[in-house]
Amino acid sequence: MKMKKAAALTLAMMMGLSLAACGGGGSGETPAGQSQAADGSGDKSGGAAPAADGEQVVINFFHRWPNDPKNTMFKELIDQYMAENPNVTINMDCILNDQYKEKIRMVVSTDEIPDIFSSWSGTFAQEMIASGNVSALNDMYEADTEWSGKIAQASVDGFTFDGQIYGVPWSQDGKVFWYNKKIFADNNLEVPTTWNEFIAVLDALKAAGYETPVVEGLSDSWAILHYLGTMNQRMVDPAVLAKDYDAATGEFTDPAYVEVLKKWQQLVSYMGETCVAIDHEAARNNYFATGEAPIMYLQLAEITHVEKVIPEDFEYGFFNFPAFEEGKGDVNALTGAPEGFMISNKTKYPEECQKFLKWLVSKNGGEALTTKGGDLSSVDGAIDETNAIPSQLEAMDIIKSASTLAPWFDNACDASVYTVYAQGAQAIATGDETPESVMEQVQEAAASLH
Amino acid sequence: MNKGKIRKRRVYGAGEIVWLVILFLLAAMILYPLFWILMSSFKDYQGIYGDVWGMPEVWHVENYLTAWNKGISQYFINSAVVTVATIMGVVFTASFAAFGICQMMGPLGNAIFLMCMCGLLLSPQVCLLPLFMLLRALKLKNTLLAMILPYIAFRLPVSIMMIRSFFVGISKELEEAATIDGASLFQIYQHIYLPLSKPILSTVVIMTAYYGWNEFMFATIFVDSSKLRTIPVGLMTFRDGLMTEWGVVLAGMVIACVPIMTLFLLMQKSFVRGMTAGSVKG
Amino acid sequence: MEALAFTVPALVILGVFVFYPLVRNIIYSFQSFTLSSVTKEWVGLKNYMTLLSDKIILTCLKNNILYALISIVIQVGFGLVLAAVLEDVAFHRLAPALRSIYFIPTVISMTVVCLLFDFIYNPQMGLLNSFLEAIGLEGLTKVWLGSKKTAMYAVIAVSQWQSTGYVAMLFIVAIQKIPRDLYEAAEVDGASKIKRFFYITVPQVRQMFFVTMILTVSGAFTVFNEPYILTGGGPGTATMVLSLHMYQTGFVKNNMGYASTIAMLIFIITAVLSSVQFFSFGAEKEER
Repeated sequence: MKMKKAAALTLAMMMGLSLAACGGGGSGETPAGQSQAADGSGDKSGGAAPAADGEQVVINFFHRWPNDPKNTMFKELIDQYMAENPNVTINMDCILNDQYKEKIRMVVSTDEIPDIFSSWSGTFAQEMIASGNVSALNDMYEADTEWSGKIAQASVDGFTFDGQIYGVPWSQDGKVFWYNKKIFADNNLEVPTTWNEFIAVLDALKAAGYETPVVEGLSDSWAILHYLGTMNQRMVDPAVLAKDYDAATGEFTDPAYVEVLKKWQQLVSYMGETCVAIDHEAARNNYFATGEAPIMYLQLAEITHVEKVIPEDFEYGFFNFPAFEEGKGDVNALTGAPEGFMISNKTKYPEECQKFLKWLVSKNGGEALTTKGGDLSSVDGAIDETNAIPSQLEAMDIIKSASTLAPWFDNACDASVYTVYAQGAQAIATGDETPESVMEQVQEAAASLH
Repeated sequence: MNKGKIRKRRVYGAGEIVWLVILFLLAAMILYPLFWILMSSFKDYQGIYGDVWGMPEVWHVENYLTAWNKGISQYFINSAVVTVATIMGVVFTASFAAFGICQMMGPLGNAIFLMCMCGLLLSPQVCLLPLFMLLRALKLKNTLLAMILPYIAFRLPVSIMMIRSFFVGISKELEEAATIDGASLFQIYQHIYLPLSKPILSTVVIMTAYYGWNEFMFATIFVDSSKLRTIPVGLMTFRDGLMTEWGVVLAGMVIACVPIMTLFLLMQKSFVRGMTAGSVKG
Repeated sequence: MEALAFTVPALVILGVFVFYPLVRNIIYSFQSFTLSSVTKEWVGLKNYMTLLSDKIILTCLKNNILYALISIVIQVGFGLVLAAVLEDVAFHRLAPALRSIYFIPTVISMTVVCLLFDFIYNPQMGLLNSFLEAIGLEGLTKVWLGSKKTAMYAVIAVSQWQSTGYVAMLFIVAIQKIPRDLYEAAEVDGASKIKRFFYITVPQVRQMFFVTMILTVSGAFTVFNEPYILTGGGPGTATMVLSLHMYQTGFVKNNMGYASTIAMLIFIITAVLSSVQFFSFGAEKEER
């Protein structure tokens, strides 16, 4: 008898919970959230209906910024757009960085491909395009030159392959060393331009009592790869690099790669032993922003994040990754690919998608991106003295003056290669692998691809 | 009399005192971290980072509201839907199957039973990749069904086993009487077996609820959309998205625990019986 | 046959979502394809050859075995002792409360437990390091998840924290079935508690001992959540385990064929373990 009651209770409780949750859930969510939950699989099985005036258009929009402030910024922009265009419903969905890469790869070649999704430029974009499901947008650019003329050309180039433009770039970014100006001044240190100078600065800081003169959260593999990407670019012959990053021809036998990992080994020895156990954000907020670590390799898009956590008298400056004395790469290159959006060619509403993207990537959206989201907009004139802080303008100049934009490592080569690279570099940091042994593994991984 | 003397001797032994200390230490090792989650969920970032052990200076009750509004509510609904659907599916399918197997004495019944039991040999990890491909092909991936159906499938073998062993023990008299009265098999199932087997069914319900509420691997791989995530996966997203708002993340963790913890505290006995019975036979 | 109809739903669901995937997995393990490939290429035993030369597999096996060994010692070994102590008359008042407390971690979601341990191991403000500092053992503070030496142990510790109480509960159930008069007779003969434990309790619960052993060992060979959430297999590949390696190979490196081969390895290991349990006790015998 007791058990009978218990069973009934369980069911009742679960039901009760779900009902209560339904009642309470509505208030906090955006309309986009609700409709997605409601139609779920429904709109997939439903037949394709052509968009007509007054008919409800549903656009699935997938991006990689579930964290604030950008998540809120997107929600606001989308709410605004939907208010202006009552016939359009935009289902926004998002997951973070590394997982986003996995998920979008899983869906891009299937019917589940979202109508609009974010993509990096370069090889990552190529991979997306290779699915055959990304539409070329040349017509969109040509039909409205007033709009397209405002988008930074260098960013558009990152999405252009064989003359076809496959994306709308929306942000620009670059990775540079940030340094604590006060600490540099106190110790009479100059901004280094070569690797040896850089090491000398680190030594000087260490001597001055800074246990971790440079810091990074090495539990994030992308953070490691950002370093290695730049270091490979600076060190290795560009032709060799291009050949090795191509999955079909990659070998990674050039001795310069081992050299890069040796420099990496040298570099991580300045990062302190906790670096392997913390993530990028912890390193930034708890070491760099507190002045405990005077130097950190950060994205220019992180300006607003840093501004939020630093004390008021904190002043930071930027310098590009120092040149290797023996390096063969372009020393004025800047690592940092633009990011943008792609439109699926399976979408039911290509025109509505284009219309939305044009609205998003414009002065209005660009301004929101920079002031609220903290990224640097790719739209010319979207940010100026009136709406951006000085360091953001400085960042724009850095990006503009770069000779070329080098893609992020994890957008530049196959996942099999960079996963091994990241694991190996992490193990070098803990002292469990040597540069030589890691390169052997990388070579194996690269060879298994062809 | 004699017993009293024995107990006295036991209570004062040095070994018992050492063990008493050990037992309390173990309890502390379990309770303190849980208490810490609860306490820290009322703090803000500075409160946690600055003073890990202290009680909150300001009680940030709003952490819970923030957690709820920033997505936990949605995950909660999804988890509830998935769990309830899985329970329904498992209870009906498994009790049907167990009943059928019992009715089919002889080689066929045994063969079917053995086949179901073979499911026990298989860990979900082994089926992960093909299930992913299958769900994708069926266009079920990224729907709640992508979790519900595999959950049901992987809970079936153990549930069938438990229910069947209970059914076998049900006296045949009632059934025979009913058959003479011309009752169909379904009527026998509905009016005799089902009402009698409430105890075992409630155990199955609890076990399935526990499984569905906490499952992580399938949920993280078969669902992409944040709108469809269940609590275990949602919490991870939640942490990624709110990196520095630890208090809110912890509040989310507390909310995630509430239903199953309540279930446990309310029905400790059947919970423990279910968990132990389930594994002994699984 | 009417009775057969009752089993159809279960057979269909099992067939489609358990047995069919297994068959597919066997086929996949001889193929080469990615998540987006339209066709799958037959490569014969190539994936199996890769398996034999894959160094990460060795790391995984080592870690899975370490996982199993530690789980046997702590969950099964210590769990049994704990159960015996809790069943001792001396603690018979405290036992019900303690039992429930030890059982609590079992009902908490794995994700919550992992996030909790993420806080515990945090090198800057983590509970473990600050506890060690507080009791004057600064020397023992470590970067628990960031060093190859400690990371795997730190990950394994999570399961011990979560499951020892559960295994102890299983033993308690078994101990309660032991006839009391066995103990009483031994006590009259003057056998010490330790002797009684080894000569009565242990032999009497041997079946449960075996069950929990299989349970923890196959748990150890399929572990996924803890390393996935806590370390992602790092630092380097220090905490890589079979199912995580399978996941990364399939979904990150996009080599589904080889990932299926790793799944086959997991299948063989766990199937052998479960069939040992299954056939040595037999479903029939279990049913009292």
